[in-house]
Amino acid sequence: MPALALCLILLFAAAPFFWLIRPHRSLVFAWLAALPPAAVTVWQALQLPAIAQGNVLVERYAWAPTLGLEIALRLDGLAIFFGLIITGIGACIAFYTAYYFEGDKRQGFFYLVLYGFMASMLGLVWADDLLTLFVFWEGTSITSYLLIAFKTDYKGATDGARRALIVTTAGGLAMLAGMVILGLHVGSFNISEILATPGIANAAITPVALSLLFLGAFTKSAQFPFQFWLPGAMAAPTPASAYLHSATMVKAGVFLLARLHPAFSELDMWFWTLFLVGGFTMVLGGVSSIRYTDMKALLAYATVAVLGTLVMLLAFREKYAYEAFVVTVLAHALYKAPLFLSAGIVDHAMGTRDLRKLAGLARVMPVVMVTVVLAALSMSGVIPTMGFLAKELMLENGYQLFEHSEQLVGGLMYVAAALAALFMVGSIITLIWEGFFRQQPDEEGAHLHHAPSFGFVAPALLLTVLGTIGALFISAYENLLFAPAIAAISGEPAELHFKLWHGFTPVFLTSLGVLAVGFVVFALRQLLRRGFAAVPQRLSSLVVYDSIVDAIYHFAYRLTVLIQGSPMAPQASVTLLAGVLVALYAIFLNTERTIVILDSLEIPGISEWLIFALAIFGALATVRARSRLSAIISLGVVGVTVTLFFVLFGAPDLALTQLLIEVLSVILLVLVFFRVRPDPAIELDRRRAFRLFVAIAMGFFGFAVVMINHVTQVGESISPYFLEKSYSLGKGTNVVNVILVDFRGYDTMGEITVLGLAALGGYALLRSPHIQSLRRRIDAARGLNSQDGAPEVSAQQKATELGHD
Amino acid sequence: MTEIYLRLVDKILTPIIILIAIFLFLRGHDLPGGGFIAGLVAASAIELTILARGAEATRDRYGPWLIPLAGLGLVAAATAALLGLYGGGFFRSIWLEFYVFDDKLKFGTPQLFDLGVMFVVIGMALTYLLRLSEAAEATAVKQAALEERVEESRL
Repeated sequence: MPALALCLILLFAAAPFFWLIRPHRSLVFAWLAALPPAAVTVWQALQLPAIAQGNVLVERYAWAPTLGLEIALRLDGLAIFFGLIITGIGACIAFYTAYYFEGDKRQGFFYLVLYGFMASMLGLVWADDLLTLFVFWEGTSITSYLLIAFKTDYKGATDGARRALIVTTAGGLAMLAGMVILGLHVGSFNISEILATPGIANAAITPVALSLLFLGAFTKSAQFPFQFWLPGAMAAPTPASAYLHSATMVKAGVFLLARLHPAFSELDMWFWTLFLVGGFTMVLGGVSSIRYTDMKALLAYATVAVLGTLVMLLAFREKYAYEAFVVTVLAHALYKAPLFLSAGIVDHAMGTRDLRKLAGLARVMPVVMVTVVLAALSMSGVIPTMGFLAKELMLENGYQLFEHSEQLVGGLMYVAAALAALFMVGSIITLIWEGFFRQQPDEEGAHLHHAPSFGFVAPALLLTVLGTIGALFISAYENLLFAPAIAAISGEPAELHFKLWHGFTPVFLTSLGVLAVGFVVFALRQLLRRGFAAVPQRLSSLVVYDSIVDAIYHFAYRLTVLIQGSPMAPQASVTLLAGVLVALYAIFLNTERTIVILDSLEIPGISEWLIFALAIFGALATVRARSRLSAIISLGVVGVTVTLFFVLFGAPDLALTQLLIEVLSVILLVLVFFRVRPDPAIELDRRRAFRLFVAIAMGFFGFAVVMINHVTQVGESISPYFLEKSYSLGKGTNVVNVILVDFRGYDTMGEITVLGLAALGGYALLRSPHIQSLRRRIDAARGLNSQDGAPEVSAQQKATELGHD
Repeated sequence: MTEIYLRLVDKILTPIIILIAIFLFLRGHDLPGGGFIAGLVAASAIELTILARGAEATRDRYGPWLIPLAGLGLVAAATAALLGLYGGGFFRSIWLEFYVFDDKLKFGTPQLFDLGVMFVVIGMALTYLLRLSEAAEATAVKQAALEERVEESRL
């Protein structure tokens, strides 16, 4: 049974479904919305025992068999581990969304994109083919863009969305190049086959391919120096921030690294890149988090820190590192999503999530307070939460390395992890104290609009409780959930025995110490915030990025002015003269053939001569026309004569198309010229003579090139094939149409995509500020007319205003 | 922009031209016609309405789906291509043939694809035509308004 494909189709189909049923009408849809991801979660949970025994589910579908492309899906330990997080948290988010957008008409659209993302993300972790993975990867980038830019009229949102899109898709393109290099070297894009290729780690192409893949992973997972897009993405509605930008999408890069781990982790390049980049990102994110008073920005930097941690852990090939990795992924998803969801509830209820304006929320929303405190316990790593276990394992990894072989690496890791952790403890205590417990806000406080209902808080509470008590029962599922994932990352079977309590080991004491120092950080928070504010701005990668983008825009502007700054006619002359040069070159290359052509020309019949004369007449009328309107219509005559040629030579489809295009373009041109300034008097000057020369030259040499093309045939003509197979393969007798929609469907798809983009461009261009302001002026003119005592307008003024049009 | 004769022409001709467009589309796979041509014909029919009654009345008549039609067409074309996966690969065609009395009817994914082409063409053409005629109307209204004001100021 194609279960994996069905799950993906279910989620993809749910997307338009929830858009069309307009779910903002009732909260009942919250339950319905949670249903599809919940169903996929249950299905995956049922597969766990089989996966734990080492089975894998593989499904392969032909995409373009002749090109050897396929969609390959594979459910192994790592895929199901991430898949469960995606759909499990996805169900909670879908439920929460109904409350967050209660009564909002755009709720349906949010669901559309959210489900699109969920399906893409699930496809990404289930993919067993590099190109399949890439397609789903881009799917998550685009849906993420749409979700960040959800508040389309808020500049912060659109800017943040564009940054996120540019950074992640640029990385994605680099990654695609890496994938292609890897795939061509191995001769297959199948991930399992690539990973199983012997000696792949030491192949000559590996350093290049791996660097490109790293770029993709690091941009997606917000590693230094690309971390800046993630805080900017916090302009997204909170369900999206909680889901995409903390629990799932940003882990796609980490996931990719985990996938590649078995084949490449033995390389020095792998270890040092991941260790240094991940470690630095971890410290940077952790330390930065204390600076922010926006709850979501604070949480975003804490997320950056955890992503850095995960990347750093993947550098190692140690037992504790693997264990810390999987537990951290789960623990982080279970505490960070509720924290974000709670921030969204606060935002919803108070109208702000700025800590400076908040105080004493514990009284008005006690359930939210409980949720946040429990999640914070897990985030700070207080026994017995899952966060505690994660931190213990990570410190243990550093400690073991330090004790045994690698003193430098182990020591560095130990210190860095502790440093990042204590700042994160400090910032989460700050969040709880300032938001929920203190009596007086720093600034004028916000007031409660309406208290959150229980259904709004329930998803966050559920996830938090799982994260808090989940570690107590970890022995019940450690070998079911974690062991297969570790086996997939390390490439060797794993057997787990997690213990929460090890006695007063050095690691446990460090953990306690981190908590204690975290309180000191909390106490010094105002000092630290002021200190951070003094750091020069130009060091931040956001500013560097923005200045690069600005420079590109500026360069493009200068280049456009340089090339296209002059009026239309000289520009067209340059282009046409270039065409003449190309034609001359073609004739020069084919001198002998040209002579042959001239000899073999047939004398056309009388009807051809007549049409020819009509065309020349039309062309002359166009050139001689005294007004634009008559010029356009005469040009139409030329077009129609071309149509007649098509009729004459038995090409009815072309003739029909040409005729319709002529009609529509005449209408379009009339409409365009209606808006353009009245004609300046057309003069016969020297420039006009030059343009005449250009036109004649272009016409003559264009004719010559067509003739040369006609006799110079490279290879065998494909026409007989189409004529022969049109009915047997394409089921149609109109060969032109069969070619368009069947034989060359790919081409047509590309063409109509361009048409669609042209429509979008026209839509945006024709509502540009210029026209908008014109319309405002017209409305103003109308308004003035309707009022009594309209200000006097002189004939002079009228003339100038009309002239400005 | 509302001319009485044009309105009459619009009333009589527009439905006929749209019927011709449908006709051209349906026969397109076997005889001259097809999605691209049918789309252009339909766009000309709607342009007739724009010329006769103005952009706003046209929007009212054809509903809010006129501009998103281009996107809808792309979705239809992509769906047709994806359905091909069932037939062995992306863009593979699938045909259903059956008989109504003695006449053979056939439906296939290439026709759905062609429908998508038609929608994109209509959507694209009308985006420009509607926008430009709106702008042209605005200019005309503005000129009229200014002329009126000039008249008033002379009085």
